[in-house]
Amino acid sequence: MSAVAAYVEFAKKAFAREATYRMEVFTNVGSLVLRIYLMRMVWLALYAQNAAPQGITLRQILTYTVIALLMSLILEIDGTRLIRDKVREGSIATDMMKPISPALYFFSDGLGQTALHAILILPSLGFALLLVRIDVPSGPVLAAFAISFALGYLVNFALNFCMNCIAFWTLETFAMQLIVRWCSDLLSGQIIPLLFFPGVLQRIVLALPFAAIYSTPLLIYIGKISPNDYEGALLVQVGWLFFFALLGAAIWQAAQRRLVVQGG
Amino acid sequence: MAIIETRRLRKVFRSVKRYPGVGGAIRSLFTREYVEKAAVEDVNLAMQAGELVGYIGPNGAGKSTTIKMLTGILVPTSGEIHVAGLVPYQRRKENARNIGVVFGQRSQLYWDLPLRESFELLRAIYAVPRDRYRSNLTRFSNILALDEFMSTPVRQLSLGQRMRGDFAAAMLHDPKIVYLDEPTIGLDVVAKAAIREFIARINEERGTTVILTTHDLADVERLCRRIVLIDGGRIVFDGPIDRLRDEYGTHRTLVVTMAETCDTLAFPHTELTEQQGNVVHLRFDRRRVTAEQLIRQVTERCTIRDVSIVEPELEDIIRRIYLEGYRTQARASASEPV
Repeated sequence: MSAVAAYVEFAKKAFAREATYRMEVFTNVGSLVLRIYLMRMVWLALYAQNAAPQGITLRQILTYTVIALLMSLILEIDGTRLIRDKVREGSIATDMMKPISPALYFFSDGLGQTALHAILILPSLGFALLLVRIDVPSGPVLAAFAISFALGYLVNFALNFCMNCIAFWTLETFAMQLIVRWCSDLLSGQIIPLLFFPGVLQRIVLALPFAAIYSTPLLIYIGKISPNDYEGALLVQVGWLFFFALLGAAIWQAAQRRLVVQGG
Repeated sequence: MAIIETRRLRKVFRSVKRYPGVGGAIRSLFTREYVEKAAVEDVNLAMQAGELVGYIGPNGAGKSTTIKMLTGILVPTSGEIHVAGLVPYQRRKENARNIGVVFGQRSQLYWDLPLRESFELLRAIYAVPRDRYRSNLTRFSNILALDEFMSTPVRQLSLGQRMRGDFAAAMLHDPKIVYLDEPTIGLDVVAKAAIREFIARINEERGTTVILTTHDLADVERLCRRIVLIDGGRIVFDGPIDRLRDEYGTHRTLVVTMAETCDTLAFPHTELTEQQGNVVHLRFDRRRVTAEQLIRQVTERCTIRDVSIVEPELEDIIRRIYLEGYRTQARASASEPV
C-alpha cells in the first residue's frame, strides 16, 4: 500500500507541475483546432474526386481525424523523456538511490501529465464540433475503443521507454527519436488510416507495432474493425505490449549493468 | 559484524578512445577502440555500525566510484560487497531503505517543488510513519533552521539553504548509513559549521554510520576519528588520524627569530625552508634530531631572540602523501633507522 502511495504522489506532482505551464496548455488547444481545420481542408479536397476509398466515407474520415488528434493530446506525452534528461545530467543516480522502481516512477509521472492534458479533450472537442460533424458509435463500440485506446497508451509508453533507455548508451537519443517519430506518425495511422496503404504495404504496416497505438482503436471507433474481430485486434495489442514490456525490462537490466553516471 | 564490508572490490570503466583534433573527431566516429581504466583497483574496507569515517583522496582516486558501488547503482567488475547484510547491486531497493545520501554537487530535492513538498514526496517514497516524519522534521528544522525557506521552490534556494534541505531529506527515513560526498563544497563558514554540527549529532544521537568524502580536511579533523585514504584506486592508509600524524608527520619546523644576521644555518637532518629578514624556518626530521638538540646547535652559532615549533598540518601530511605516493613514503620510513 505504502509503495502505491509514492507513485500516486509522483503523478500528483507531475499534474501540478504541468498545470504551471498555462501558456503551453492553451497553445495546445489552439494548435489542435488549427490542425483539425487544415486536415478538414485536405480531406475535402481529396474526397472531391472519390466518394469513399476503401469504403471510408467523408464523414468517417473526418471523425477519424478528430478522434486521432484528440488521442494525440494524450499519446504525444512522453513521461519517459525524463530518462534521457536524467541520464544526461546524471540525476538518474539519485533516483536509483531511492527504494522505487524508476520505470513505475516515469509511468506515474506520465500519468500525471496525461491527466492534465485529458482535461483539454473536452474544450478541444467543443471547438472541433464547430468545424466538423463527427459520428458517435454505440456503447459497446465505445467500450471496445476505450479498452483498445488504453492498450495503445501502454504500448506507446513501453515503446517510448525502450527508446529513451538508449540514452544509457548514447547519452543522446534525438536522431533516433526523430526517425521513430516520423515512422510512428505515418505508420501508426495518426494522420492517414492505414487502410489507404496499397496491397502488400498495407499488410506490412498493419503488422508493425505502430498500428497498435493509433490505428486499432481508431478503426474500432469508425467501425472498420467489426465486433467479431475485436478479440483478435485487442490480442495483437496485448502481444505488442508484452513484447515491448519484456524488451524494456531487458534493456533496463542491461542499462543498470553499464550505468555510467555523468558528471562525477 | 561489520555493517559495511568490501573485499578486493574493483571497478573498471571502458570508454571509447578519442583522438585529438577535427581529424581525430571524425576518426573516432568510425573506429571503436576502447580504453579501459580501473577507477577502483582493490578496495578492502570494514566499517562498524556507528563509526564516522573520513574517506579521502585526490580527484579521480576512486572515492565516488566506491560510494556508488555501496549505494548499489554501480555494479562492481569484481570483488565482494556487503552493506548491512545486503549485496547492494542485487538488492538495490532494499539497500536504498538503509541508506541516506548527500551529494554536494547534486541535489536530490525536486527542482520545481517547494522544499516542504519535496519532503512530503520523500515521506511517501520511504513510507515514513506520519508521527516519525513530523518529529524528525521538527528536529532537523531546529538544527538546520529550515523554517525560513520551507515554502520556497528548491530552484530559488541559495547553495547553503539547498544543502541544509538536502541533509534533512537524506535523514528523514532514519537511515542506518549515510554517505556524504563533499557535502560542504562551496559553502560559507557559517553553513559549514551548521552542517558539521548536524553530522556530529546524527552520528552521536542515533548511532548512524557515516562515510564522509571531502577535500576539506577541516571537516575530517572536526568530525572523524578514523580516516581512510585512497589513491589510484587502492587504500593507502586506514586508521586513526593520530597515527597518520605520527607516521607521516615526521618533519616539524623550527621558526627562529635572530637578534642579528647569522650566516651558517646548515645543520644535520635540517633544511632551511624559508628566510625572511631575521626570521628563518628550519624543517627538521624529528626522528633524527630533537627540537632541543636543534635549538642548542642554533644558539651555539647565532644569537636568537625567539623560537617556536610548528607542527605539521594534516593538510600538509596528506598533500605529501598525494604528491610522493604512499608506497615510496612507507619504504623510506621503513628503511631509515628511527
